[in-house]
Amino acid sequence: MTKEYTLHIAHLYGDLMNTYGDLGNILVLKYYGKKMGINVESQVVSLDEDFKSDDYDIAVFGGGQDFEQSIVSKDFQTKKDEIKKFIDSDGCLLAICGGYQLLGKYYIDAEGNKIPGIGVLDHYTEQQHDNRFIGDIKIKNKETGEVYHGFENHQGVTYTGNGERPLGDVEQGYGNNGTDQAEGAIFKNVYCTYFHGPILARNNIIAKHILIKALKRRYPNDDFSAQEKIDVSESY
Amino acid sequence: MSIRSEFATFAGKSSYWFLHTFMNGGSSLPGKITTAIDPAILKHLGQNYDIIVVTGTNGKTLTTALTVQVLKQKYPNVVTNPSGSNMEQGLVTTFLKAKNPKTNRPLAVLEVDEANVIKLTKYVKPIAFVFTNIFRDQMDRYGEIYTTYNKIIDGVKLAPEATIIANGDAPIFNSVDLPNPKIYYGFKNHDDKDNFKAEPNTDGVLCPVCQNILHYHYISYANLGNYFCEHCGFKRPELTHELTKLGALTPNSSDFTVDGQDLSIGIGGIYNIYNALAAYSVGRFLDVDPKDIAKAFTANERVFGRQELIDIDGKETTLVLVKNPVGLNQVIDTISKEKDDFSLICLLNANYADGIDTSWIWDGEFERFTKMPIKKFITGGERYKDITFRFKVAGVDENIHEVQPNLEKVVEEIPTLPTQKVYILATYTAMLQLRKDFAEKGYIKGGME
Ligand SMILES: [Zn+2]
Repeated sequence: MTKEYTLHIAHLYGDLMNTYGDLGNILVLKYYGKKMGINVESQVVSLDEDFKSDDYDIAVFGGGQDFEQSIVSKDFQTKKDEIKKFIDSDGCLLAICGGYQLLGKYYIDAEGNKIPGIGVLDHYTEQQHDNRFIGDIKIKNKETGEVYHGFENHQGVTYTGNGERPLGDVEQGYGNNGTDQAEGAIFKNVYCTYFHGPILARNNIIAKHILIKALKRRYPNDDFSAQEKIDVSESY
Repeated sequence: MSIRSEFATFAGKSSYWFLHTFMNGGSSLPGKITTAIDPAILKHLGQNYDIIVVTGTNGKTLTTALTVQVLKQKYPNVVTNPSGSNMEQGLVTTFLKAKNPKTNRPLAVLEVDEANVIKLTKYVKPIAFVFTNIFRDQMDRYGEIYTTYNKIIDGVKLAPEATIIANGDAPIFNSVDLPNPKIYYGFKNHDDKDNFKAEPNTDGVLCPVCQNILHYHYISYANLGNYFCEHCGFKRPELTHELTKLGALTPNSSDFTVDGQDLSIGIGGIYNIYNALAAYSVGRFLDVDPKDIAKAFTANERVFGRQELIDIDGKETTLVLVKNPVGLNQVIDTISKEKDDFSLICLLNANYADGIDTSWIWDGEFERFTKMPIKKFITGGERYKDITFRFKVAGVDENIHEVQPNLEKVVEEIPTLPTQKVYILATYTAMLQLRKDFAEKGYIKGGME
């Protein structure tokens, strides 16, 4: 690992969508980045600021309070084309809770307002009445066999759509909607989830997947077998 | 007084007398008995008092205690509620326990839970409300900061003549137009040249008027400071009481100047200076002389009880409760004023009283510890894996970082630590377990207070 690699993270609305320690995901990406010889830079991209697809390797989009999310929903429409371009070109995107909801078609907030997402993914989010899914959750990624641990805390119930597969099948807890045993969504290199904890702190293996994918996309001709050997022992 | 209220008061007082005499206790049960008989009892009990309500998410207890100290300089009768008895029944109990007042209209300084303000104002009209701050607490309580503030406002709307004495550095207290007279306190120890935004993981930074992101000339901590909106001109209100200078700050003391008066409190932490500012403002509101306020602040060190110094076989051990990121960051800031070498122990539990989601530790600025004169780190508690990984990511040197899930072993290790001073940060139930062990080993007498 003699060559210095650099990856750029867009922390989408990091100053408004930051409710449950989601910043930790970026700290963990930097931590493992350092171990892999990657210089990981992150920058907040917020209201009235341009998100340029080509400038970034990874985007992280956390959850917020209803008021903040309703403001972000309006601004996010102006970034829709570039976000779509980023996803279509295999950019890595980690979206948590409200971030997950806003990538889909719409969500219903606690007061019953229908808040539009940008619809680049096919899911939508309804509201459950007088109930919230709160507690520890454990899921299994069917494709890789990996087991993920997290803490869920959401009133919205999400139903995935075309092209999306779950991040994992629920083994303990509620997941997207408490009925179909699915938690989160994967679409190309987009990882959506309701996991706090934060997800990458509890499940270091996902941080590794994201970093490796982002490296291969940015530096397509290089060999990353050394990085792939990095040990990411579980913290949970 | 209605016969119903009369009877309710009698039943409540008797149950207090009974519990006090025979059970050696009596916190909110008399209140429960009384309110069960007549929910409007607060009207009858509170009508003869000039009531000052202290509310907000953090700092209620110390602000209330300091305010009582300040007001006692001038007023002989000041009733107050014990920390934690800040819901409807605790308030009823407080009035029931109060001795028959000697003066015409005694003062009552009451710490009131945010959602219980309305339960009080339904029946009595306070002369003042003190707003300390609104931060996101354990997420599953009232949820969002706006929801919490609206609960307070619902109560305030029933008392439009009461003066609001609010933290002027908190944008949320300037977000709703209320008819009440207002007094603002805040920090004015800076000029207006700087222009910057809060750190990314700060709550509550949207302009309440136009929903753009607020800018600041100065931030004291979190989202508190001299804020303004570049888009619509919304800005911090004129301050009635200004902190113009911060003097010497240590983990156990703070010197500062308000309205030209030098003040000193026996506790560290910027958040505690705000609590003192609030108490100062209430004192001035009720005509207590600034010099007497200064005297009141140093009169009784016991009001600053939270950070406790314990002698563990010669080690000066400071035990600090942490429960949310804003509080945690203030604790980290306070400890950063320590000049001597020290050891740091951090114990994380996730039972209901601690907050069952440990995500909040990622909003804590643990990275700052790597720049302090710390010779040994220990992480533990039931969720030691979470806190240990947080320390690793913060960059704590592995060679001086020990993971110790067993609490008794942590206690046994304290006397062998390489430094004279030891700081222990613990969540609520970890603190209880630790204190129990300290008590068994004879380091403290026991109990939570
Ligand atoms: Zn504005």
